Amino acid sequence: MIKIQNLTKVFRTEEVETAALSGISLEIKKGDFLTIMGPSGCGKSTLLNIIGLLDSASEGSYKLLDQEMIGLKEKGRAQVRKENIGFIFQNFNLIDELSVYDNIELPLLYNNVKAADRRKKIEAIAERLNISHRLKHFPQQLSGGQQQRVAVARALVNDPKIILADEPTGNLDSKNGNEVMELLTDLHAKGSTILMVTHSDYDASFSQRTIHMKDGVVFSEKLNQRNVDVFMDAK
Amino acid sequence: MILNWFKIFIYHLKQNKLFSFLNVLGLSIGIASVIFAILYWNNENAYDQWNPEKENVYVVLNKIGTTGDTWATSSIPFGETCKATIPEIDKVCFLYNWYDESVIKFQDQKILDKKITLTDENFFDFFPFEIIKGAKKNILKEKNSAAISEEQAQLIFKNDDPIGKSISYNNKDYTVKAVYRVTKPSSIEPNYIFSGIKRDGDKDQWGNFNYALMVKTKRGTDASEVLKKMQNVNYVNRTVKDAKAAGQTVEQYLKENGEIKVILNQLKTSRLHGTKSSGGQNLPEGQGNLKLLYIMGGLSVLILVLSMVNYINLATASAIKRAKEVGVRKIVGATKKQIIMQFIFETALITLVAIAFALAIVELSLPYYNTFLRKTLTMNGGEFYLQLILIFGLVLIFAGIFPAVYISNFETLKVLKGNFSRSKSGIWIRNSMLIFQFGIAAFFIIGALIVNSQVNYMMNKDLGFNGDQVLSITYNTKNRLTKTQDYFTAKQEIKKIPGVVDVTTFAGTFGGNEGSSSGFNHNGIFVQPKNIEMDYGFLDMMKIKILEGRDLSPQFASDTVNGMLINETLVKTLNLKNPINTMITSGWSIDNGDNLKFKIVGVVKDFNLTDLQNKVSPMVFINLKTLKWNNFSRVLVKVSPNNLSETLKGLKSYWEKNVNPDYPFDYEFVNKQFAKTYEEQVKQKNLFFILNLVVIIIAVFGLFALASFSMERRLKEIAIRKTLGAETDILLKELSKQYIIFCLMGFAVGIVPAYILLEKWLEDFAFRINISVVPFSISLISLLALTLIIVLAKAYQVTKIDILKYLKYE
Repeated sequence: MIKIQNLTKVFRTEEVETAALSGISLEIKKGDFLTIMGPSGCGKSTLLNIIGLLDSASEGSYKLLDQEMIGLKEKGRAQVRKENIGFIFQNFNLIDELSVYDNIELPLLYNNVKAADRRKKIEAIAERLNISHRLKHFPQQLSGGQQQRVAVARALVNDPKIILADEPTGNLDSKNGNEVMELLTDLHAKGSTILMVTHSDYDASFSQRTIHMKDGVVFSEKLNQRNVDVFMDAK
Repeated sequence: MILNWFKIFIYHLKQNKLFSFLNVLGLSIGIASVIFAILYWNNENAYDQWNPEKENVYVVLNKIGTTGDTWATSSIPFGETCKATIPEIDKVCFLYNWYDESVIKFQDQKILDKKITLTDENFFDFFPFEIIKGAKKNILKEKNSAAISEEQAQLIFKNDDPIGKSISYNNKDYTVKAVYRVTKPSSIEPNYIFSGIKRDGDKDQWGNFNYALMVKTKRGTDASEVLKKMQNVNYVNRTVKDAKAAGQTVEQYLKENGEIKVILNQLKTSRLHGTKSSGGQNLPEGQGNLKLLYIMGGLSVLILVLSMVNYINLATASAIKRAKEVGVRKIVGATKKQIIMQFIFETALITLVAIAFALAIVELSLPYYNTFLRKTLTMNGGEFYLQLILIFGLVLIFAGIFPAVYISNFETLKVLKGNFSRSKSGIWIRNSMLIFQFGIAAFFIIGALIVNSQVNYMMNKDLGFNGDQVLSITYNTKNRLTKTQDYFTAKQEIKKIPGVVDVTTFAGTFGGNEGSSSGFNHNGIFVQPKNIEMDYGFLDMMKIKILEGRDLSPQFASDTVNGMLINETLVKTLNLKNPINTMITSGWSIDNGDNLKFKIVGVVKDFNLTDLQNKVSPMVFINLKTLKWNNFSRVLVKVSPNNLSETLKGLKSYWEKNVNPDYPFDYEFVNKQFAKTYEEQVKQKNLFFILNLVVIIIAVFGLFALASFSMERRLKEIAIRKTLGAETDILLKELSKQYIIFCLMGFAVGIVPAYILLEKWLEDFAFRINISVVPFSISLISLLALTLIIVLAKAYQVTKIDILKYLKYE
């Protein structure tokens, strides 16, 4: 699904050139659940942003569904993004001025989905994420975990090809964080492709594969065995 | 989608009730001011546009070579000769370029009407008003025919048929031939039209410029060709003949006297763009005030721009609060275009509300505006609604697109990472707009101050006469030919009324432009002074000073034969070293005799007779009995200040009993009469004052809002500075410094146009102030003070923040 070759990103200021990414190659297949880990400033967020078409690379190749993304104009990127990619953020990024329903509806609006279909889809996804009773509420009236579930619902409502999660549990306590991780695992089990950035080994352990990055390069890659954490369950 | 946009819009509206309200209010004041200007503009441009002959009808004016005056009147033989000799001219029409005021009688009804037009048989070919009853053609062809307007017909005849009835005007009977409906607005909107304007005695008098003249050309005629031919009529019949009579060659004659230049004003553009006559009135409804129209238009556009700038500033400043929303929308798939559409949609909603507000403002204040312009404007007509849509479109483009594009350009990543709120993007645009606003505010303050001091100057100027306690009373005798005699009899009677101090008269009106003038030659210099025929004691009563020689006096019998006073200006124009006892050959003659000779017995100090826009004209003063022209229309009565109402009662009963029972007792204080000449400027002063208030309110609000937004963005910085030990006064200085600089820069932007435009405005006044630095200094100081008050108040509020809250944040 995603094929990245020799991807480089350089930030230039007047005096310094900083390579955030230097020659990353990566492949994500349909149905993968991949985690990127690494210390602050290692370039993992930059990579995620480039894959999410929020940022552009300086060099290299990035193919999404066999289509070259490097060099695409803003308009084309927006088009690809709204059809294929769902985002989940650490700070949820819900629009506080809109109700839960309206928030989830946004991607459908921008994808020109008919009004009747929109209602059906929103109700279905809300049901699935157990937030049906919250549709009329505003984000500020919900707990962190609920807010993140709304964000996940918004990311999923348009059936994206890949879900990008940027530290999805970073703003949550462990109970809510766990809920969100289980949600992602569940989605993965049903066939979604997920790419996640995290600091937490525990969160990473939910995924199939973990990539460790440092100073803009991938320095290790390992397959995860799904192991049940005894202590967490005991809590 | 629209619903989604609408929800967000309503949410923000509710969140910032005060700012939203002020923003809409500012915009609606701007729009209202443009609507006012448009209403005025539409009305002025609508004059005569209904007239199907507007392109073929020309109003004839004459520029008199010797004096440079432009007259809106012509002589009868000139018009008749043009008609007879120029094939392109279809018809000519004579009429008075003023409305007569007189009593119309029908059986035992008497109606004083102020819009009477005396004209000839061709009038309805030039102004084809709709005929409701009676003859459609040749209405005024027969002698003593009349046509009356619908309203007057109703007033006089009620439900009877007016056609064929006889009404009387100026002691003459006229037969009503038709009833018409005036199409407004028109250069002539008479209530009564009477035929028979051409006096027999004027038929061959090329020098009697008594009649307004209109010519109608045949379709497709080149006006410049007609003009050339009309000019030639003058040359052949006047210049050549006059030169011969003076025993000079034509060149010599032209060199000394100049020639009369004919000017044609096409009816279509005559009201606003036609050449104005020196009297200011070409046709009875007067000329449009193009200058005031431009002033209104310019100022209103300026206010709209100001309010739009305000809107843009606030929209971009508050956009920072919307940054996250925009970021999220972009992530879930909104294109830039969609974001732009969303924010234009919001501006569209606000503009719609603002227009509704503006219409309400206009509706409520239209009566005052109408009084100001002396019009009856209303808000309707397809054109007006089209213009409203146009305003809507323009506001949307200028105030809507810029903030929308600005917002749509937010970078998603920066926005979502949360470090956007302190970004400096767009700040220079906001600052330059703030400077621009300061500039406009400075312009308005300076303008108002200068207009104000000119008006004060006019109100306090020494006019050269003193009209305290002097009443000017209309004097209409039953028989015009015995007016002077009747006056002398009445004078003795009026003097006996308790409270009356003195009685006199002169041919003219203080603050009026009427009055005759006659040209003469002296030592090769041609002058055309105003004729002031006066009763003894006139100069004395008005406290007009004599500089040299003496006043005319009954002690000298010769004073009613050849005694004359002239004013300072005439002395200067004629270059007289020793004016006293100089003999002058006047332009007057009696019964085709030789021109009368006069001896100058005194020089009168210049005084302002007409208005302060014009210089003092040259004047000659002779006694009422000298020429016996019966030209005066008012009597001046000096009354004692005590028991004024009793005196007025006495005068009223005398007038109604003895002068002419047909006319009401109509008086005015001379001072008030003269004050009318600067009524227009007083109104302009008030207009400027109101606009000034509006502008300052909008600007102050804009400054306050912008300062609030930009200071609130610096809360974290302020918190850090405070932690590091910054004191309040240092912080205040830090926060206010830039606004003071902007204020100064804006002032610099505003002074140049203010100086140029007001210098231009003042050019119209012969008696005017010079622009000094005072209004500029006052404006600068008040602008600075205003800025400081607002900014310091806001800054003080910001420095009182809870440090912890902002350091912990994020």
